[in-house]
Amino acid sequence: MEIELKEIRDFIAAIPPFDRLEPGSIDRLLDKITIRYFRAGSALPPDNADEERLYIIRKGALSLRSRKGTLLGKLGESDVCTSFCLADGGDKFRVSVDEDTLAYTVDCDSLNAAVGNDSSVLAFIRNTASQRLNQAMASRQEAASASPRLTTMLVGEVMQKPAVTVDAGSSIHEAAIRMRDASVSSLIVVDNDAPRGIVTDKDITRRCVATGKSPANPVDTIMTTEMVTTSSDANAFDALMTMTRKHIHHLPVIDDNRVEGVVSISDLMRLEGRNVAYLSSAIHRAADIDTLKELSTTIPRLQVQLVNQSATPDHVGKVVTSITSALTRRLLQLAEEKFGPPPVPYAWVAAGSHARREQTSHSDQDNGMIISDALEKADEPWFEQVADFVCDGLNECGYVYCPGDVMAKNPRWRQTQSVWQGYFNSWINTPEPKALMYSSIFFDLRAIHGEATLLEQIRENMLAQTPESTLFLAHLTHNALKLRPPLGFFRDFVLIHDGKHNDTLDLKHNGIAPVVDLARIYALSEGIPAVNTIERLQAAAGTPTLSESGAANLLDALEFIGILRLEHQARQIQRDEAPDNFMSPKEISRLEREHLKDAFKVIQTMQATLESRYRM
Amino acid sequence: MTPRLLDRWLGLEARRKRLLAKAPPGPLRDFLATPFPDPATPLDRTPILAVDFETTGLEPATAHILSVGHVRMDGGEILLSSAHHMVVRSDADLDEKNVVIHQITDSHKDAGEPLESVVENLLGALAGRVMLVHFGRIEKDFLTAACKRLYGMAPLLPMIDTLYMAKRRMDMMPAGYDPSELRLFRLREHHGLPRYAAHNALCDAIATAELFLVEADLMGRKKAPPLRRVLRY
Repeated sequence: MEIELKEIRDFIAAIPPFDRLEPGSIDRLLDKITIRYFRAGSALPPDNADEERLYIIRKGALSLRSRKGTLLGKLGESDVCTSFCLADGGDKFRVSVDEDTLAYTVDCDSLNAAVGNDSSVLAFIRNTASQRLNQAMASRQEAASASPRLTTMLVGEVMQKPAVTVDAGSSIHEAAIRMRDASVSSLIVVDNDAPRGIVTDKDITRRCVATGKSPANPVDTIMTTEMVTTSSDANAFDALMTMTRKHIHHLPVIDDNRVEGVVSISDLMRLEGRNVAYLSSAIHRAADIDTLKELSTTIPRLQVQLVNQSATPDHVGKVVTSITSALTRRLLQLAEEKFGPPPVPYAWVAAGSHARREQTSHSDQDNGMIISDALEKADEPWFEQVADFVCDGLNECGYVYCPGDVMAKNPRWRQTQSVWQGYFNSWINTPEPKALMYSSIFFDLRAIHGEATLLEQIRENMLAQTPESTLFLAHLTHNALKLRPPLGFFRDFVLIHDGKHNDTLDLKHNGIAPVVDLARIYALSEGIPAVNTIERLQAAAGTPTLSESGAANLLDALEFIGILRLEHQARQIQRDEAPDNFMSPKEISRLEREHLKDAFKVIQTMQATLESRYRM
Repeated sequence: MTPRLLDRWLGLEARRKRLLAKAPPGPLRDFLATPFPDPATPLDRTPILAVDFETTGLEPATAHILSVGHVRMDGGEILLSSAHHMVVRSDADLDEKNVVIHQITDSHKDAGEPLESVVENLLGALAGRVMLVHFGRIEKDFLTAACKRLYGMAPLLPMIDTLYMAKRRMDMMPAGYDPSELRLFRLREHHGLPRYAAHNALCDAIATAELFLVEADLMGRKKAPPLRRVLRY
């Protein structure tokens, strides 16, 4: 190599995986490199290239897409496009040039020859290529990725219209004929278009044929009048969750007391993919903890599947949380079967990410019990037994015991409504920084089972006080600002050096947690009852506490960091490793690193704004 | 091919053959013995050698060549394997200012090669290729002077000059421009090409080749224009 090529050599030698090459290998590699120029809008590989090549981007930007056009990644300066170095990878990708690009390229055979004795380099290149390939395959298999997501769709867009109905005065026989002719298994019973009830083929079997009742009787004698319904402006995902939770397969869609249509679980499952609905209904049927334990092992795979379908972090959080809630409810039902019905009303409440509906598959458990003030001393053992049963069961299902002991198992968090109200009053009115640090989790609570009003009354009292409690908000802000996003990338990125997670970035504590903390403070300042971070930011947007643009920026930052975290965890799960939040900057492209830097800047700006408001 | 350009091409080939007949045996004759690329060749398929000289001054009469860098370009690709850099051994003292710019010190220079072998190497690399330069008067004048001195006659040098490619493009723009915008680093900056810190003959030859890729692309985005559109000799 000519020493005058040092500048190009240094550029390449700094890029993984070439940074681990021996100097001699770099020189051999350099000798095989050609410099090429691609204008924006052209496609890679160029028509005249017939061999497999690696492209190192010196300047410019590329997009990597699956055959179907799903964006798989963006590459910028110093990124290496390895897609054409995989024997059968070339025809599964489309690479397009987003900006005029100057690239150092090398054909794969020459690369192999140049680095021949350094297998780690080849492994790196094959791995990145195969990862992209896996992603491409996953999105290809999932037609769902091309169809709109359930969470963003309304019931009105997916329902069958019009609903097949039958007049309340018709006979059971007529209803059966109508079902056969319309090929449906249920009919909505109407009286002048107003819904009266629902009748299914099972009702005809069980309540007419099996009992010897004459089919000439009116259909309203066998219909179910307690109908669970939805409306056309409801969220389709919520409708799916309602049906899986209540074990029903059809939801009449009612607007203004008129039957507009019907939405079925199979319609939604076709859109959603089978797993979520299947898993929650299996959980509802599970007879013992062993079955629940077995079912819970599928949650990480479910998460990967959702990520591969390009689900948003919000969607993934809601799905994973809904499974946790289903597990918790089933455990409580099993406990109530074992220890008898509750002696007095209570609410099982989830705290933290479970309450916010932002869980990922490896969350700890955080929970408590709010018991009616009617509690007698003699009733206490029942609550203790149930709490132990459920917390131990959750632990067995992979929701490990809370390291901070925030669990119903702990008598401190298994208290009557008045005691809980007392906790909140003291946190808010006589705030102590340290006590508050451990209690911020309780400002994110959601009732999972039992009497939700026990919690709602506490929340109402709490929110009536927080907007005025400046000292409380100041302490909360002070604590929240202890978690700061890292300042820059690579050179100035704050990486963790604790032996186990060397040179990684803690996406949860440095990225997501600060946004969650900010959203909580905005919500408490404005008396907003929502606990989900996105809902809190949306509700607080445009209030004196949070500008519209500030909210929009934080939502983008949260989503972007959330996507990086999910993809990181998906990679770990696919390697059969336990998912965590520690991502190495090398896992992502430089362009993504630039976006991450921007996301961190947004968070930093919003923290600074809040800090100046509650300066202590 | 229009008649005028046909004449021109015949002119180039005719002149090469005439010179070939007169040239003494040696590197210059070998160079002239290889036909030049056909001016009808599309630019992205023209065999090119990007060349840069560092000199002690602007006039061959008073100054001399310090170093030569060249790199081949085939099928729109710059081949780093062909990159070559030569320092010319000379008895002349180095001007202190130029030393700073070119990063060549006296000890480097002493380790260099005689001008004769440098020119021989360059002519060998140029055979069958078009010489690509940026503001190529220096390269043309100094190489011509060296050939006259070494072989007693001037060579015929078909060239592409990126400065003229850029100038022609910018002349067509309604807004005027400052001539300093035609300098190599300014044009590279304008096109978003990377900034090279080093200034040596090889680095500048590569920089010129990269600039050529962009300027040639701007000339014909659907189909590469023929060599004759930019050929100078």
